[in-house]
Amino acid sequence: MLLVQVLVGGLLLGAIYALFSSGLTLIWGMMNFINFAHGEFVMLGMYAALLVVVWLGGGPAVFGVVVALFLFFMGVAVYASLIRHVLRGPMLAQILSTFGLALLLRYTAFWIFSANFVSLPETWLSGSIDVGGIWLPIPQLIAGLLAITLTIVLHLLLTRTTVGSRLLAVAEDRNAAMLMGIRPDRMQALAWGLSASAAGIAGALMATAYPWSPSVGETFGLIAFVVVALGGFGSVPGAMYAGLIIGLIQSVSAFWLGPIYKDIVVYALFAVLLWLRPQGLMGRA
Amino acid sequence: MKRLSPTRLGFAVFAVALLLYPLVFTNPFFLDIGVTFLLAAISASAWNIVGGYAGQISVGHSMFFGLGAYAPLLFYQWLGWPPMAGIPIGIAASVVLAIIIGMPTFRLTGHYFSMATIAVAELIRIFTGTWDFVGAAIGLQGPATARGWWDLTFRGETPYYYIFLGVLAVLLFITHTIERRRFGYYLRAIKARERAARSLGVPVLQIKMKALMLSATFTSLAGSLYAIKTGFIDPESGFGILVSVQMVIIAALGGAGTLFGPLLGALILIPLQSATNTWFGGGGSGLTYILYGGIIVLIARFEPGGLFELWHRVVAKYRSRRHAA
Amino acid sequence: MLLEARDVSKSFGSFRAVSGANLTIEEGEIVGLIGPNGAGKSTFFNCLAGDMPVTTGQIIFDGRDITRASPEAHARIGIGRTFQLPATFEDMSVLDNVMVGAFLRHPHRDDAREHARKIIELTGLTAHASNWARSLGTPGRKRLEIARVLASQPRLMLLDESLAGLTPAELRDAIGLVKRIHEMGITLVIVEHIMEVIMTLTRRVLVFNQGHVIASGKPEDVVKDPAVIDAYLGHGDVPRRG
Repeated sequence: MLLVQVLVGGLLLGAIYALFSSGLTLIWGMMNFINFAHGEFVMLGMYAALLVVVWLGGGPAVFGVVVALFLFFMGVAVYASLIRHVLRGPMLAQILSTFGLALLLRYTAFWIFSANFVSLPETWLSGSIDVGGIWLPIPQLIAGLLAITLTIVLHLLLTRTTVGSRLLAVAEDRNAAMLMGIRPDRMQALAWGLSASAAGIAGALMATAYPWSPSVGETFGLIAFVVVALGGFGSVPGAMYAGLIIGLIQSVSAFWLGPIYKDIVVYALFAVLLWLRPQGLMGRA
Repeated sequence: MKRLSPTRLGFAVFAVALLLYPLVFTNPFFLDIGVTFLLAAISASAWNIVGGYAGQISVGHSMFFGLGAYAPLLFYQWLGWPPMAGIPIGIAASVVLAIIIGMPTFRLTGHYFSMATIAVAELIRIFTGTWDFVGAAIGLQGPATARGWWDLTFRGETPYYYIFLGVLAVLLFITHTIERRRFGYYLRAIKARERAARSLGVPVLQIKMKALMLSATFTSLAGSLYAIKTGFIDPESGFGILVSVQMVIIAALGGAGTLFGPLLGALILIPLQSATNTWFGGGGSGLTYILYGGIIVLIARFEPGGLFELWHRVVAKYRSRRHAA
Repeated sequence: MLLEARDVSKSFGSFRAVSGANLTIEEGEIVGLIGPNGAGKSTFFNCLAGDMPVTTGQIIFDGRDITRASPEAHARIGIGRTFQLPATFEDMSVLDNVMVGAFLRHPHRDDAREHARKIIELTGLTAHASNWARSLGTPGRKRLEIARVLASQPRLMLLDESLAGLTPAELRDAIGLVKRIHEMGITLVIVEHIMEVIMTLTRRVLVFNQGHVIASGKPEDVVKDPAVIDAYLGHGDVPRRG
C-alpha cells in the first residue's frame, strides 16, 4: 500500500514535470535552442502566485490566470529582446544568453525573497482524501491532474489548431514555412510565450502543494533537461511520458535510497542517456 | 633593431608588473587578491581553450576543477601523501571525465554539450556531498603545518603567487603555441563553421576531444593549486556552479578565443568581486551574482567577443574615420 | 572511372528526395548537374559529398566503396566541395581560410601558408589576403570557398552553384578560373542554373528531376530533349542565361 502511495505521488509530481518540460521541448524542437533559464521561469511562476495571494488575496483561479499571462509576456519579451538576436550569432552568445538570464533571475529572487523556503497559505483545497486505502493530499492531486490536462491541451493546441500547425511548420522547415506566408519570427515569439507560460503555470500549480525557495529553479531546469532528453527533443508527448517516468523514478529512489538520492538518480540517468540514446525515447537527434 | 609594437611593449610592461607585484604590495590583503587573480586567470585560460577557441561552451567546468581540488587533499587525508602527489591523479580523473562527456555529446549540437556539462557537474557535486569517504558535506582539509617543503604549506602567500604565476605562464605559452599551429587553425574553423571544416578534412570529433582534454588538464591543475593553497575543499567550493560561472564570465568578458582575454577579464572582475564583497558584506555574494548574470547577458547580447573585440571595433572605426577625413 | 553512384536513394521520413540515382564520372571530366528546383540535386550532391547518409545505394570512388565514409574521409581521399550558401570562416582572414584547406596536405604551418598563398594568387584573391572573410561580398566569398577547397588538393571537386549571382564580367572571370582548375587535372561536377556556364564549361550534362537522372548527354542535345523541357516547364522555371 505504501508503495502504491509512493508511486501515485511520483506520478502526480511527474505530471508537473511533464507540463513544464513540454515548454522546453517545444523551444528545442523549433529552434534547436536550450533555454537554460527555463527552471527559473517555473520558479517565477511560484513566486508570482505567492505575490498574487499575498497582495491581491486571490485564490488559485486568479493566480493561475495571472501567472499564465505574466509568464507569457515574459517569454515573448525575452525572445524579442534577447533570443532573436543571439540566434544568428555564435554559440557563446546563444548559451550565455539564457545562462546569464538564469543567474540574473535566480539571484535576484534570492536577494528579494531570501533563501528560506516558503509555501502558499492554506486554502479550501487542503487536507487529504482516502482513495481505496491510499491517502492522497488534495493539493497535490489537483495540481497533478491539472498539469497533465494542460500538457495534453498544449499538445492538442500544437497538433489540432491552425496556429499550432503554423508553429510546427516553422519547426519543421523555416524556409518552406516562410514561402507559405507564415512569419517565423512571430511563431517563435509565440512559442516562447507558450513555453514560459507552461513553466509558470506548472510553478503555480506546484506552489499549491509543495514548499519552495529560489534554488528550485536550478533543480527544475535540470529535471527539464533530463525529461526532454529522455522523451526526445521536440516531442511534447515524449515529454509527457518522460515527465511521468522521471517523477516515478524520483519518488521510488527517495523511498528506497533516501531523499538525498532523488536528484542524484535523475542526473545519473541523464549521464547514462547521453551514452545510450541521446535522441531520447521518441525524438530526433 | 626590431620595432617594439605597442602590444609587445604593453605585454612586457604587464609581465614585469606581475613579477614585481608581491615585492611592492606586501600587504596580505593585496597579496591575496594577486593570488586569487592568478588562479582565476589560470582557470579561465584553461576554459578558454575549449570554450573560447573551439567554441564548445562548457558551463560545468567546475567538475574538472573540483576533481583537481579533491585529489590532493583526499590522498593526503587518506594515505598521508604530500598533496602535490594528488595533482596527476586529479588530472587523470579529469581527462577520463572529459572523454566520457565529450565522446557522445560532441557528435550532437553544441547546446547538448553545454547541457551535459551542467548536469554532470551537478551530479558530481551532489554525490560528493553524500559520500563520507570524501568528507561528504564537510569536505577535506590539507596539512595544517608543513611536514616538509613538499607539502607546499607556506605561511605567507608569496611562494604561492610565484608558483601560480609560473603555471599561468606555461599555460599561456602552450595556448600561444596552439594558436600558431594547425591545431589552432582547426579549432577556429570548427568554431566558425563546423560543417565546412569537416568538408575540408578537419577531424572534428578528434580536435574537440583534444581541446576538451587539454582544457580539463589545466582546469584540474588550477583546482589542485587552489586546494593546496587554501588547505580546504568542499562540494560547493569544488564543484559548485559559481566556480563554473566565474571561469566563463572572466574569459567571456575579456574576450573568449583570445590569448589575453581571460587575463583582462580577471584583472577587472577579481578586484571588483573583492570590492563588492567588502561593501555588501554577507549579502554581497548575492548581489555579485546578480551583477554577473547581468554582465553575461549583456556580453551575449551586445559583444560576444568581449572587451578585446569591442576594442578592435572601436579602433577600426577610428582608423577608417581618419582615412576618410 | 573516378566516381560512381549506384542506385542512390535518400528519404526523409516518407519523402523520397532522391530515388534510384545513377551517375558515372571519368577522371578529367567536367560534368554538369542541372534540374529544376526541388528536383533533388542538392540532396544528391550532399550524399556524394558524404554530408548526408544515403538510405540505399552505393557510392564508389576510384574503386573504393565510400558510401559510409564521413565528410572528413571524403576530403582525405580527394573529394572536395563548395556549399550553395557560402560557408566561409567569417571571423578568419582570407589567408587563414585557405590555410585550413591547405593544412590537409601540409601539416606544418609554414608549408601550408606558402601553399595557400600560391592558391590565393591562382584564384585572384591576393589583394584580399589579409582581410576578414566577413568583409568580402558574396562573389568574393564564393571565390574564397573555391580557393579553400582547392588548397586541399582534391582530385574531384563538387561545385554547388559557385558561379551564381555574378555580374557578366565576374562570371567570365569565374569561368576562366574553373577552366584553369580543370587544366590542373581536377575532375569537376558542377551544379548550376546558369546555361552559359553549362554550355561553355561542361562536355556532359545530367538532368535531375524528381529524385533521379532523366537525361544525360552533351549540353546542346540535352536542352533540346523534350523530357527535359517538360520537366522545367512543369516546374515553371526554365534554365536562365547569366
